[in-house]
Amino acid sequence: MAETETETTSGVVTVEKVRGRSTITRCFFKYPLKLILPKKVGSSQVDAVWIYALSYGGGIVSGDQISCKISVGDGCTASFTTQASTKVYKSVDSKCSEQVLEAIIGNEAFLALIPDPVTCFSTARYSQKQNFRIFSCSNLVVVDWITSGRYQSGERWDFTSYKSTNCIYLDNDRPIFIDSVLLEQSLVCDIAERMQCYQVIAMVILLGPKLKNLQNQIKEVVKKMMTVKLRPPTTNFGRYAKSEAQHDRFVPDLIASCSTFGPQGIGSVIRVTATTTEAVYAFLRTHLSSLEMFLGAPPYCQSGI
Amino acid sequence: MDHSTSKSCTNANHDDKSLLHWTQWQLLDSVLPTGGFAHSFGLESALQSNLIKQPEDLKPFIIQVLDNTGSLLLPFVHTLNKSPDTETWTRLDNLLEATLTNEIARKASATQGSALLRVAASVFREITELKLIRERFIGSGLVFFHHACVFGLLTGLLGFDGRMAQRAYIFMTMRDVLSAATRLNVVGPIAASVLQHEIASAAEGIVEKWRDRNVEDACQTNPLLDTVQGCHAYLFSRLFCS
Repeated sequence: MAETETETTSGVVTVEKVRGRSTITRCFFKYPLKLILPKKVGSSQVDAVWIYALSYGGGIVSGDQISCKISVGDGCTASFTTQASTKVYKSVDSKCSEQVLEAIIGNEAFLALIPDPVTCFSTARYSQKQNFRIFSCSNLVVVDWITSGRYQSGERWDFTSYKSTNCIYLDNDRPIFIDSVLLEQSLVCDIAERMQCYQVIAMVILLGPKLKNLQNQIKEVVKKMMTVKLRPPTTNFGRYAKSEAQHDRFVPDLIASCSTFGPQGIGSVIRVTATTTEAVYAFLRTHLSSLEMFLGAPPYCQSGI
Repeated sequence: MDHSTSKSCTNANHDDKSLLHWTQWQLLDSVLPTGGFAHSFGLESALQSNLIKQPEDLKPFIIQVLDNTGSLLLPFVHTLNKSPDTETWTRLDNLLEATLTNEIARKASATQGSALLRVAASVFREITELKLIRERFIGSGLVFFHHACVFGLLTGLLGFDGRMAQRAYIFMTMRDVLSAATRLNVVGPIAASVLQHEIASAAEGIVEKWRDRNVEDACQTNPLLDTVQGCHAYLFSRLFCS
């Protein structure tokens, strides 16, 4: 698999088996990206490496272009995460900041991309693209999420534009998951109006044979949780409704739904939206805890508390 | 019987452009049996999540659904309307299968697209490609018959111009959501018709904004509605398939 690096490549990580253990055989990074490879994140019983991505100054500055390549060799396990939420600062001269990730996951390899959320400040313009090339026995966990901004300070969905694209290709060129979310202020409807009272939107992708059990588990859990929260409106809804009765019903503070995708349903995508970031951290912490057996440490246990 | 009168009635000397109007109206008429009435576009789920609390919430909901339809599906309608050939259709249909990551929306799209192709192949018999495509691919597992792709292909073969085809797709979506709204008793039929006229201007703006784009640029603009629509299968009692 030829790696195409250019001057703009900010980071490269290669994970391969060395003496039977997942080992980072190459790690390159340059401004504005910084990569940290702590040795003792997870239990040493579990064969997995952890990579932390940091940005200088704690965030992405207007006009930053960051591109990173990760290669996880056959049978290896890697976890790619952040230390804190990725802040995207305000746009200067209408410049857009961009992050691109190209990942190749080998056969029976496992990549967990489990970052903290992106937070775009007022007037920020940001775009990210993540491409994953997998094989039929690859395993992939991707968490991709965004908060409305510094919402406790009143900045709610106040950025100019956010775009996140996630593409999964099977056997090099067959697209099996293409998702692109664009949140852009528009005359049709501003973002805050679209998102109503929700402050966080998250997507979790689970794919591969090692994740089959977790996929089934989460599907059941989400179904049970949402069935309770969703209730048919009273038969009085409509022109003859007693409007007080209807307003008494609250909106759920967390909504989640789960869909399968891909040939033979090899993947699942769970979408979650909530009124607080803490609620989504709790959701992720709870439902992804079983990943500890693959990664050596459970995701999101040090974060957001 | 006056022979000359009956002759001019049946003699098809009307130009193609005039006849196209009749085809367009037939395709957009809700009487065409394509099963669109079975889908609420996430409305039923939004009601049960209490995201729509009162009839006034319906207008912004519909506009958001149309905007999302524009951003995600018009590129497929546009590209196939321009190139209504089998190779483009199979490629884009498979791409849309990967793009409709919401299982509920994906199944609804395949169901509606199959129904549309079946009806179109029967009705527009002079377009033999429709019947041939259907026979060649049905049950093959090679395509999924997604609605936006079938519609784009059909309008391309029928000779609709691109802007008309894309406007028609947004019109049909609006028509079907309003129909679902009346059946769910959110608004009555007259109020729905009032809304339809009120939304027309926003709908035209949506067509202008999202038309003629490449499928690589297809995106969704409302992740909240997407999440909520995905809950449709969890509704304990429901009227619609999606």
